[in-house]
Amino acid sequence: MRAKDRVKSKDKHILNLADIVGGARSILYLKVDLVAYDCDGFTIHKHLPKAVVFPKNTQEVAEIVKYCSANNLPFLARGAGTGLSGGAIPLNGEIIISMVRMKKLISVDLENRRAVVEPGFVNLKLTNSISDKGYYYAPDPSSQYCCTIGGNVAENAGGAHCLKYGVTTNHILGLEVVMPNGEIVEIGKDGIPDAPGYDLLGLFTGSEGTLGIVTKITVRILKNPEGKQTVLAYFDRVEDGSQAVSDIISAGIVPAALEMMDKTAIEGVEAAAFPVGHPKDIEAVLLIEVDGIAAGIEEQIDQILEVCRKRDVREVRAAGSEEERARWWANRKTGFGAMGAISPDYLVQDGVIPRSKLPEVLSRINQISSESGLRIANIFHAGDGNLHPLVLFDARIPGESEKALEAGSQCLKVCADVGGTITGEHGVGIEKREEMRFVFTEEEIAAQTDIREVFNPHNLLNAGKLFPSPSRCVEIKKEMKAQAIS
Amino acid sequence: MSVQELDLKQEPPCTSGLGNYLWSDPPDEKKWADCVHCGMCLESCPTYEQTGQEQHSPRGRVHLIKSVAEGTLQVNEQFIDPVFQCLDCRACTTACPADVDVGGLIEEARGQIRQAMPLTGVKGAISKFFLHDLFPHQNRLNTLGGLLKFYQKSGIQKAVRKTKLINVMPQHLVDMESIMPEVKEPVKKKYKDVKVIKAKGETKQEVAMLTGCVMDVMFSDINESTINVLTRNGNDVVIPQSQTCCGALHVHAGDRDMGRKLAKQNMEAFKDFDKVIVNAAGCGCMMKEYAELFKEDPEMHAKAEEFSEKVEDISKFLHDTGYEKPNAEMNTRITYHDACHLAHGQGIRQQPRDILLDIPGVDMVHMPNSDRCCGSAGIYNITNPEMANAVLESKMENVPDDVEMISMGNPGCMLQMAMGVQKYGRNQKIVHTVQLLDWAYQKEDRMKEGEE
Repeated sequence: MRAKDRVKSKDKHILNLADIVGGARSILYLKVDLVAYDCDGFTIHKHLPKAVVFPKNTQEVAEIVKYCSANNLPFLARGAGTGLSGGAIPLNGEIIISMVRMKKLISVDLENRRAVVEPGFVNLKLTNSISDKGYYYAPDPSSQYCCTIGGNVAENAGGAHCLKYGVTTNHILGLEVVMPNGEIVEIGKDGIPDAPGYDLLGLFTGSEGTLGIVTKITVRILKNPEGKQTVLAYFDRVEDGSQAVSDIISAGIVPAALEMMDKTAIEGVEAAAFPVGHPKDIEAVLLIEVDGIAAGIEEQIDQILEVCRKRDVREVRAAGSEEERARWWANRKTGFGAMGAISPDYLVQDGVIPRSKLPEVLSRINQISSESGLRIANIFHAGDGNLHPLVLFDARIPGESEKALEAGSQCLKVCADVGGTITGEHGVGIEKREEMRFVFTEEEIAAQTDIREVFNPHNLLNAGKLFPSPSRCVEIKKEMKAQAIS
Repeated sequence: MSVQELDLKQEPPCTSGLGNYLWSDPPDEKKWADCVHCGMCLESCPTYEQTGQEQHSPRGRVHLIKSVAEGTLQVNEQFIDPVFQCLDCRACTTACPADVDVGGLIEEARGQIRQAMPLTGVKGAISKFFLHDLFPHQNRLNTLGGLLKFYQKSGIQKAVRKTKLINVMPQHLVDMESIMPEVKEPVKKKYKDVKVIKAKGETKQEVAMLTGCVMDVMFSDINESTINVLTRNGNDVVIPQSQTCCGALHVHAGDRDMGRKLAKQNMEAFKDFDKVIVNAAGCGCMMKEYAELFKEDPEMHAKAEEFSEKVEDISKFLHDTGYEKPNAEMNTRITYHDACHLAHGQGIRQQPRDILLDIPGVDMVHMPNSDRCCGSAGIYNITNPEMANAVLESKMENVPDDVEMISMGNPGCMLQMAMGVQKYGRNQKIVHTVQLLDWAYQKEDRMKEGEE
């Protein structure tokens, strides 16, 4: 055995796990390597894993899970680690099971419009692999250049084009899952849609890695729309912009995407790598995309231009070329990362609100911003009411991270208060655990942790995520009861 | 924390460092302040593609470099691997929404590692031989070049005879072979006594040219082509004799002191010129970044910034100042490989392609992922052969089957890709963009002579 392939650890768990995955190249256990895994896209909480393992196939995943269960080692699955709510952070010093080496496109079935992928397969690669045949995979989170479909399933990821086509759960036809006891099960066998019985696919999609580890995914693929066009509109007042959004929907148009950015967000994207020349003095920019049968596109575009003009738009126009359309989208899709250009750190929130409440919510967020002294940029999937306030802060200043968390939480409270909810597509993770109480009662939360217990009875898999810690009465009572029985 | 605890082989010279960076010129805090850990860089990174491990990804490396400054990690043996496995290809800089200068951070971190733990033993001797005793000394390089050429020439001859390769080559490639200039002596030596190589026809301007160290020994024909193309398009060319190696290899290896020394010498050598033309992407990129080496010396920093403005890649210079479109038909199918330090390092993508497309009869085939690193990365293919080979393999998978030549703008890539062609049984010829242009000019001239 070459020196490189030898595991230089005295820890028996490290040695045993290394044996399962085939040696030193598939396990990390040195501190310097583990630091690279101490957080995901949510950087406020950091914790070192015990080890990171890189299985090649479902059997290895099952072996690892069995080993962890038998030895009472907490574990969790991680994809590209682009999640924004901390779902892949090893809060309890977990063994991280990295799925990124399981990255094959297993099969494409154009006739039945479905594809089977391994969980580490990158979202955009699916579309790139089938686009020459005229097909694509619809869910398009902004991180689609690098996020994995396995992670998308865990978080039930959305994206700009989910207004018309739905989020990840609407595109999942089947899953192969390694259960927390190591058993391999198939849900939605053969990718037949709408199978009878309970909707387990729906339950697993968006369960944030707390019920099992997905090892194979059957997804729906769609035929490319015949035509596509994007409109850009600048508004001097947020009220006019958001009213235009409502008017477009009321006019019976279902855009493929309807996006909004506010002034601070515009400042960020224009200072970053993909500027397109948005004016700095406008209050809101809208990106509206329609797609479908080519013949109907022009008429819809005319209607959209008309609606915007009625709402005192400063400037509105359709993209002059495919290249221009692509630049507008690159500018928007890199919007979160772009905040690095105007702030050392950011915290992104993920509230959902009724569209009509937007002006009110934005003004309340402005108030939170001025009270906390932190700038807040807003990027908004306006069509489906999914708001992303980006709280800008500097973690090096003592106390500022806490202040940012508090401001973020207040933003979510506002969303919940106006009849919305606390997450649209980024998940609860660590970040929004406490905010679950804005939208659920203690009993409702307990009912959900009961479901988790059916699948993950010892809570070794991704513990401490999705629900508030059992510090409150209901779960404590339950634990006491459980102890009494045992 | 004591020096012993850090397992340091040298006493730190000062205490003005940053966190656990104890030496001068530490990684620049402002560079990582832009990184919000979004992960958009992951898929752009060849070493992440190969390993799937985040300590070998751009954001992982930035995170580790930051962690040393914050005191969670130390500059020790374990820190070497993530920092030195980086190819320094800069693809992450292109992918990053916030323009984080990952490459700059890596080089600064390498500087700290090499100051804390100088290379010893065989590795140290090899590194010293290449970086100190060889590259900065043109005459030594020339001697080595002469030997190399001998082996190379006889080796190629043997191979060609043995495999009858010459018979399977299409006729026009055999023709092209015949118009290829003979491998000549290094141009810096050749033009030693020529103050100015005059433009053919009317002089538009005067430019200075970097002949490079590897370039002038291994590829003096490319330097010759560069001179031909420049003079043909109205440029007087000066080759300052006091110029030296650009220092890129030293800076990549963490030897920033030597980098500074070479940078100063070059800035002095080229101080009287408005334009410094470079035909090696790696050298051009380094010279455009000299200011990075002088962060702690405001006077030199300002000078270096001014100098960087004058440095220009040959393809961009020709594109911006205009060039004569050749008339001779070259009739060849080619593809273009983006050298990392042209595409990601200098943002030069379209200009070389435009030049190639201006040559009549050049049929350009798209190479998927053309701006993916080939694994050459300076002397990375010598220091990290395993990773370099894996990266080369995935590069070669993207080279279209039906092309006769692969054009590019960097000598390191040319050597690596030539190796790839040989290793994977392909038969493409590796050419520099200006060579093709020069050959087209030469063919045109011969046609004209023939008519007369």
